[in-house]
Formats: sequence, structure tokens, C-alpha cells
Amino acid sequence: MPSDRLLPRLFLIVLVAVLALAGWQWRHGAPLSANLMELVPGATQDALLQRAEQRMQAPLNREMLVLVGNADRQKAVELAAHIGQGWQASGLFEKVQWSLQADLPALREQLLAGRLAMLAPADRKQLIEQPDAFIQQRVQSLFDPFTGFSLVPSQNDWLGLTGRIQSAQPQHGLVNLDLASGALVAQADGLNWVLLRARTHSDAFDMQLPQQVAGLLAAARRNASQADSRLLAASGLLYAANGQQEASREITWVGGGATVGILLLLWLSFRRWRVLLAFVPVLVGMLFGAVACVAVFGKMHVMTLVLGSSLIGVAVDYPLHYLSKSWTLRPWQSWPALRLTLPGLSLSLGTSVIGYLALAFTPFPALTQIACFSAAGLLGAYLCAVCLLPALLKGTQLTPAQWPLRLAQGLWDLRLRLLARVPGPLLLVLLLAFCAAGLWQLQVRNDLRQWVGTPPALLQEAQAIARITGYQPTSQFFLVRGDNTEQLLAREQALTTRLQALVGEHRLQGYLALSQLVAAPAAQEQARMALQQLAAHWQPLIDLGVPAAALQQELQSLQQLPVLSVDQVLAGPLGEPWRPLWLGAQDNGVASMVSLQGLGDAAVLRQVAQRLPGIQLVDRLGDLNRVFAKTQVSAAELKLLSCCLIVLLLVLPFGLGGALRMIALPLLAALCSLASLGWLGQPLTLFSLFGLLLVTAIGVDYAILMHERIGGAAVSLLGTLLAATTTWLSFGLLAVSSTPAVSNFGLAVSLGLGFSFLLAPWAGERKA
Amino acid sequence: MKRLPQGLLAVALLALASFAQAFDLNDLRATLSAPVAVRGPFIQEKHLRALPQPLTSTGHFVLAKDHGLLWLLQRPLQQDYRINAKGIARRDANGWQVLPNSSASSEQNRLFFAVLQGDSSALERDFELKLQGTADAWTLQLTPRSMLLKQIFNHIDIAGGAYVQRIELSETQGDSTVLRMPESSASATLSDTERADFAE
Repeated sequence: MPSDRLLPRLFLIVLVAVLALAGWQWRHGAPLSANLMELVPGATQDALLQRAEQRMQAPLNREMLVLVGNADRQKAVELAAHIGQGWQASGLFEKVQWSLQADLPALREQLLAGRLAMLAPADRKQLIEQPDAFIQQRVQSLFDPFTGFSLVPSQNDWLGLTGRIQSAQPQHGLVNLDLASGALVAQADGLNWVLLRARTHSDAFDMQLPQQVAGLLAAARRNASQADSRLLAASGLLYAANGQQEASREITWVGGGATVGILLLLWLSFRRWRVLLAFVPVLVGMLFGAVACVAVFGKMHVMTLVLGSSLIGVAVDYPLHYLSKSWTLRPWQSWPALRLTLPGLSLSLGTSVIGYLALAFTPFPALTQIACFSAAGLLGAYLCAVCLLPALLKGTQLTPAQWPLRLAQGLWDLRLRLLARVPGPLLLVLLLAFCAAGLWQLQVRNDLRQWVGTPPALLQEAQAIARITGYQPTSQFFLVRGDNTEQLLAREQALTTRLQALVGEHRLQGYLALSQLVAAPAAQEQARMALQQLAAHWQPLIDLGVPAAALQQELQSLQQLPVLSVDQVLAGPLGEPWRPLWLGAQDNGVASMVSLQGLGDAAVLRQVAQRLPGIQLVDRLGDLNRVFAKTQVSAAELKLLSCCLIVLLLVLPFGLGGALRMIALPLLAALCSLASLGWLGQPLTLFSLFGLLLVTAIGVDYAILMHERIGGAAVSLLGTLLAATTTWLSFGLLAVSSTPAVSNFGLAVSLGLGFSFLLAPWAGERKA
Repeated sequence: MKRLPQGLLAVALLALASFAQAFDLNDLRATLSAPVAVRGPFIQEKHLRALPQPLTSTGHFVLAKDHGLLWLLQRPLQQDYRINAKGIARRDANGWQVLPNSSASSEQNRLFFAVLQGDSSALERDFELKLQGTADAWTLQLTPRSMLLKQIFNHIDIAGGAYVQRIELSETQGDSTVLRMPESSASATLSDTERADFAE
């Protein structure tokens, strides 16, 4: 037949084209991504908010915080310096900092220029309202041997404004400056901990970087243990490194395990080396999936690869469909066997693709990617199984082993014996009771933490660092908008007044806001006005011997100080910690952020932002968890929709009754697996729900196989058993993943497949 | 980190409790740390480049082994200070108020107590020490080692006999502070008020 020759050739052309496309896609290395945030729904279309979030996340993904601990401070400093120098030389880091060499002249210059702009609100208030007390405090500080050490010499600042600015700077954490070395040192657990900070050139989602950084860190740890020191490290990079390692290990286990299992099954069943060629459609499917995924999304996430590796078990079902006919079809020939099973194969492709594509309409990019990967992969595997594989297997004589058939026959007899004793309706009632009781115990749980397998060791170190240094950054922050700087800073102050109250109640450790650093233009003018009146109050300074002329001159220079903009103040060395908070001019005004430290309760922050205009709490994690909850509803709707589509597809060959029966079975299977989750005490997550979405689509296949009954009940059951075993192999392996989301998905699908297999024989009842 | 070392004067003063006697730092420390309490008047002169005469203040101090330092400023204004393990405190109408612990001041407290406990290694890390003279008349020069301290001080000079008599801090900006303690005396006990001041 001409199509026997034409099809393989056409397919080979397509395959070569796809391979070429893949080569082009990989020309700059693997287009892989490990960025978790790419997998979750984009919370916002607001460009400003997106920029703010990126700004707040950047340090998490690029910075590493390390503490080097030793009882001897000197040894800790030396080791930190040694490690720091090594890292600097590695070229991975943009900046490695283990000692603080303050540029005092630059600090002095900024303090003098900022005497009006940087004066703290409380000091400005005193200057305006109680000028006598203001002068009296200055007199006191001139004699104070303990607190009067100002960067700026007295003769340049008789009024002591720079000293006030210095002492009003917020203190960060529990870390102190070691005067001798310039190192930042904290004390805890009887050790001196030297702080080392490193910022990488690129971020944690660069595929090579996390491993390289983790490598450097491992070497540093060995160094530290040789020097009897301890080393703690925290960074988003380390989580990324761990995630990548886990992912590649899981791909190896899931992919490798499923491959070995399937090949073994093929050989044991058919006892022909050539039959192992049935694995070719699987490889082609993976290729099609990867190429389609990169073509649509630009890159592929590692989680897609992990979940996608389960496709192996589904893709191999197509060749199995016609290979399993060799038990009845004697002699078995590849093309006739294919022609016999082609309608079933095509239907099966249709239902599976519908099932996967339903995932694409969830708001999760992760699932959209998996849907795209799987749908394209299945299509590739189907085309290969239909066009190429029969040609490869042409002339192969299949004399399959008899044990699988005996097993299937045994199972079938067992089923018949069971049905003879227990009537079908009673079984159904029992099953429904099982479902009801299981559903009763089912708990719903959704949290972003399910997306990341967090290794406890990393978590403990991060907590230890937070405890020792007092740095406890939170992912929540406030976004502040205003028509102009004046309004923006006023709004910030309204906010920080409330935050300060929380700090007082120990419900918040601290916050950082631009309004702590720089005064609004009007406030700067107020300070200038108040200074003009100060001559009437400064007699106590003159009594000490300060020349009146010097005071007058200082006053004049203060009057001439220009009003400073936020940008100007941020440019100076004192502005460094605040720089990331300034978002600058926007389309309709200006915007900034207020960051937080050591948060106890996110709900409290929501209250804080209430009734404050222009202030928005950004709580991405909280928002995501709400999205999860909302998506559960839409997942159920999608499931319904995909069932309708499948029914439409099946109505044509099987009629409405048959179609409904065939969809009812996998739905019942899904219900049973839900109940099983309840019985097992496993939570229902969004992922288990998505898994069940898939179960419907795959379960329909088994129903079709059993319904068609080509070659008798036992042979059909055997085909179903083989298909279910291979699929179950790959999804079952997902269940052991360390990422809760992935393992949830794997567990739900494996359970669903088991039930689908058990229920599938009822698809053929009536026809028989 | 933003604040720079404050009260280095106090550190210098207390540093001395650990160094005495002739040419050996250990001897110096043994002598200065022997008395339970040293007390006496002080005169502090701040020499500012821009002022023709120094800002002068006077008062009394009590340096108590194991307790800390009381610094009671009497003229031209009255103000009591205390340095001990809790940090630097200032007395107001409601009693002692411990000042917010800045990085630099707690660092300085660390130094201070290292000195009180006779841990000269702590001081030697921050300063180079040069001791000259005899047990009755010695001078000790502290030169900062770190870049940070060098940007603030040229050196700290301390002179004395059985007790510290004079401390001079020379700042890089040209200002200097001279502390004189001309009539110090030692005793084996603290008065009840002093004890109460330290205890509070």
C-alpha cells in the first residue's frame, strides 16, 4: 500500500524539521528557567507595581548573607576576610563586602549640605517650637564627653544639626562595627559572628550561577570547619541551587525509572528486542513537547520538565494499543494491526489532549506550560506511532508471552465471580459510601510553600542568621504614591506614624522609609524659617565663648542651602540603604516603597494601610494564596467543560448513552481518588485537583479500550492493564518528589489511574 | 554603623586602669587596676580651632573596679553620666536613662570592659601602644591602627604616675580635648551613694 511508504517518509521530513528547530532553539545553551515566580500567576498588570516587586526581590535573588563565627573575634574577622577575598577573585560577584571603610569626607560633606533637608522630624519640631531647649541641648552636647562625637567639627556646625542627623539615623539590626577591622560583628551563642555580604552579577535564575555559588560556599564551609569556626549562609541563590539539584535528580528518577520499567515490561511481554523500538514515539513526543514549549514561552521551566517526564508513560500507550493486539491477531503484522486500532488511538489522543489543554486555561503559567508540553508531546508520540513505528516493526513476528494474558484472564474471571456474588448496584452503593466517607475527611490546603521543597537545613540557617543579625526582611511592603514629593512624603509619614506604634507594641521590628532620611520641601523651608529666629535664643552659646560672628555666618550659610530633592539626598553615602525604595517620577506623580523588618502578622499591615490615601500594601504571597483558593473553583469548572468536550467527541462513535457511560467511569474514578486522599489524610491541593483533571482524560482511554473489546474481554483488559501500568509507573514516581506540589499531583493521578483501571470494564457491559 | 565612635575619651581614661608601672604594660595594668575605687576632680578642656579659648568644664569622677565609671559634670552645667555593662546612661529627673545603644558606643563599651578586665589584647588590636618613663612618671601613646580610627584621631596621649593624670585626644580635624585629673586618690570602698548609682 502506498501510504505504508509515504507516511514514514513524510514523518521523517517533519521530524528532521523539528530537530532543526530544536537545534536552533538550543543554540545559546539550554533554554531552561528555574524562576519560581514565572510559574505563579502574575498578580498585577500595573507596571509600577511590577517594578516595585522586582526591586524588592532583586536582593533576595542576588545577595548572599554569610556569618563567620568564632569565639575569637580576630580569627573570625580573618577568616571572613580570607573567604571574602577568595570570592572577590572568583569573578562571580559584583560586590563582596566584609569590612566597612567609610568615606568620612564624603559623609561630612553630605551632612553639611543636608542640614535642612535631612533633619529628623522630631528635631525640626523642637527647633521650631522650643528654640531655647534646642540651644540648651546643643550646649550640653558640647560638654558631653560621651555622646558628643560628631563627624563634623564644631566650628563648622555650632548649632549641632549634623550631630542630630547622625544620631537620628535608624539603627539596623544587632550588628556592630568593629573599629579595628571595619568588620560588622554580631555576638550570639558565645561566638563573634562576622558578617559577609556578597552580591552576584546575575540573579538566581541564571542556570549555572546557583551551583557555582553553592560550590564556593561548600569550599568556604570546609575552610571554616578546618579553622574551628562556624559558617551560616542565607540566600535565594541557595534555594535555587537546591531546587535545581532536586529537579535534575527527580528528572533522572522519574524519567529513568519510568523508562527502565517500561522497557522491561515491553521485553517481558513481547520477548523481541525490536519491540523496544516502541519507545521511539516516547522520545519523539518529548522532543515535540520541548520544542513547542520553547517556541511558545521562549523557555522551559525545570518544573515542566519534572512533570513532563511523566508523559513517558502516557506516550507509550499508543504503540501498546496495537502491540497488544498480537495476543489475538495471528499472524500479527504492524500495518494491519495499526489500521484496526487507529480509530481508538485517535479518540484516545483527542481525549488526552482535551484533558491536558484544560490545564492551559488555569491562571497558572506552570500548568499552561505543562499543558503545552504534554499536548504537543502526545501529538508527536501519536504521529510517530502511527506513521513511523509500523514501518520500523514491519516484518516483525510477535509471539508474545502468555503470562500477561493469563493474568488478565484471571483478573477477568475474578471480576465475574465477584459480580456473581455481589450485585452491581450494591457494589456501586458501597463505592459511593466509600467516597462519601472519604470526602468527609478531605482537607483543603493551598499555600505557595507547596511549590518549593524547602530543605530544613537551609531554613534553619536562614533563621539563625535572622536571629543573630536582627535582619528579618519580609516580602510584604508598602507602595506609596503621590502627586509630588511633598504629598508622597506626607503620606509616608502618616504611614510610618502607624508603623512606629506597631514597633512600640513589638508587633513589628522596624521599617525603612524615605521620610526618615529626607524632609519634604515645605518642611525644609520651615526649618529655614525657624533658624532665622534662632539669634534671639542663642545667648547660651555666646556665653560659652562661641563668637557671635561665627554664629551669624553659619546662619547665613544655612539660609543659602538649597532645598534638596530626594534624588540629591539619595546620591550621598548616607542614602545607600534607602536607594532601592525610591521609584522616582511616574506618569502621574512620584512613588516610593516602605520596607519592613520582622513582621509577625500580615493582617495587621492590612489594617494599617486602611483609609490612608495613596498607600497600598503589597503582599504577593498572601495574594497568591488567595489566587489559589479562587482557582480551585475555576479548576472544577474546567473539569466540567473538558468532560462536555470529551462527551461531544465520543457521541459520534458511541452514541450519547455510550459517551455518557464512558465519561461517568473516569469521573467516578476521580471521585474515588478524592475520597482516597481523604482516607489517607492527604490534603486536597490545587495540584491534586489538576491531577484529577488529567485523570478524566486518561481514564476515558481505558473506557474506550474496554468498550471496543477488540479481541475479547481478557485481551482488552490486558491492553488496559499494560497502558495503566506504564502510565502509573511514571506518575507514581512523581509522587515521591520532594516538591509538595509535584508529589501531590503524582499521588492524585496515580490514585485516579488505579480507580480508572478498576472501573473500566463496566464501559463494555451493555454492549456485551 | 552610621555613628562614629563616641566617648573614646572614656575608653582612653579607662584604658589606663590597666597599664602602669615603669616600662612594662603588665606592670602598668597591675598598678592601675589595684585600687577598688579611684576618685577625684577633673578638668576637661575642649580646644576648638575656631575658639580663642577652650570650652572648659569641671566635675568629679569615680572609677570603680568591677562597676564602671561615674562622671559627674558640675560646671558650667550639671550633668551626671555613667558607663557600665548596661551602656552609657545620663541622669535626668527620673533617674538614670540608658542612651540608645548605637553600634559605635557598644563597640566602645566592649573595649572599655576588655580594659577593665585587664584584657590589653583588645586595646592593642585597635591601637598601637607606646609606653615610656618610669612608674612614677610615665606616658602612654595610643595610635589608631584602623583606617576608620585614623580618619578621626591622630593619637591619644596618656600620662600619670600611680593614677592617670592627663589624657589628650588629638583629632585629625585640628581640635583636641585635654582631660586633667590632678588630685585623684584611691580607696578600698565605695560610698553608699556611689554604690546606689552603679547598682540602679
